[in-house]
Amino acid sequence: MEFKDYYQILGLNYDAGADDIKKAYRKLARKYHPDVSKEAGAEDKFKEVSEAYEVLKDPEKRAEYDQLRTMGARASDGSFRPPPGWESAAHFNDGGFTQADASSFSDFFEQIFGRGGSAHRTYRGNHQTSFRMRGEDIHLRLPLFLEEAYAGGEKSIQYQVPMVDEHDLVSHRPKTLKITIPPGIGNGQHLRLKGQGAPGVGGGQNGDLLIEIQLATHPVYQVDGKNLLMQLPVSPWEAALGGNIVVPTLSGKISLTIPPNSNETTKLRMKGKGMPGKTPGDLIVALKIVMPKQQTERGKQLFEALKQELDFNPRVELEKP
Amino acid sequence: METLTIEILENSATYSLREVCERNGMRAEQVIEFVDFGIAEPEGESYREWSFTPAQLFRLHRALRLQRDLELNLPGLALALDLLEEVDSLRSEVLSLRERVE
Repeated sequence: MEFKDYYQILGLNYDAGADDIKKAYRKLARKYHPDVSKEAGAEDKFKEVSEAYEVLKDPEKRAEYDQLRTMGARASDGSFRPPPGWESAAHFNDGGFTQADASSFSDFFEQIFGRGGSAHRTYRGNHQTSFRMRGEDIHLRLPLFLEEAYAGGEKSIQYQVPMVDEHDLVSHRPKTLKITIPPGIGNGQHLRLKGQGAPGVGGGQNGDLLIEIQLATHPVYQVDGKNLLMQLPVSPWEAALGGNIVVPTLSGKISLTIPPNSNETTKLRMKGKGMPGKTPGDLIVALKIVMPKQQTERGKQLFEALKQELDFNPRVELEKP
Repeated sequence: METLTIEILENSATYSLREVCERNGMRAEQVIEFVDFGIAEPEGESYREWSFTPAQLFRLHRALRLQRDLELNLPGLALALDLLEEVDSLRSEVLSLRERVE
């Protein structure tokens, strides 16, 4: 087991005062809170910070931790083992794990303060066992690529479920579920898995697992409700002459007819080719006119001919007084 | 493996104050306080008639986590939630604009 330096995690010296500890925690908690930060790994970092604070803010736990830190056995590979017969005093009192969600503290923490560490919080305090209570819902954010949301399909999810033992103590256990995402799910939509939340107490109903969908932005398609928007690159002559163009969509390639004399304000709507659903959305295509990069001598001559032929000033609007 | 029934929660789905309390593990006074500060805006005149949407259920839960972990007071909490939502939508707008420019 790896030794966790709680002081280092909070960026503190070993002689830090209670105020410094609180300040350091508050600053890091704001920075890494999973509801605030979009940084990768923020959630793990936040758990680490809360665990460190849980120990260091409590003078008793801090004293025990300090004792272990200076005296605990460290193997040659740097792994840590508490001395034989180690028992935390936190084991005997009710801990006071009121602030942080102690569900996911590390093995290291549990070794020192007991599996009890997190289990010491009784289920919502002082209820009677004869009391029937529905389990709480568990909330989860599920990031999806647009392709996944469009097609739907199987997805494996992991989360922590609180379990109540015969002494009414709570501990959290990881749970994995395979779920089937319905096709056409949108950003911010919610899914419910009945009974997959926290277990009920005294024969009460289980809570639900509620999932909030978070769509990643897509390089080609923009999502607007049920509709998808895309820019379709066309050559100047395709825009001028019109014709059939093959468009890649999330459901495969589709031929699209471009009317002659189209320009970049032209928007073409492909009915029912947006996000699937009871009433599927549309795919809205905006044209983007692209110039060819290399021109041959003959190509130049043709443009020259075009210049002579068309009396065209694209800056007419700008030149108005 | 057990079969799981997945349900899409339409925004027309609603929850009463009692259901919100049960589902989020909140006390009624807490929810009422959050509503007083505009953290969630349920339909209905009195709290007996309140109905919350799934999005509001999520927002209340998020508020609860932020309050617990960051020790925010209620006006600060309401502001933080509004700003976080604004940041979220601005962030995704920036990303999609960037995709279009590149």
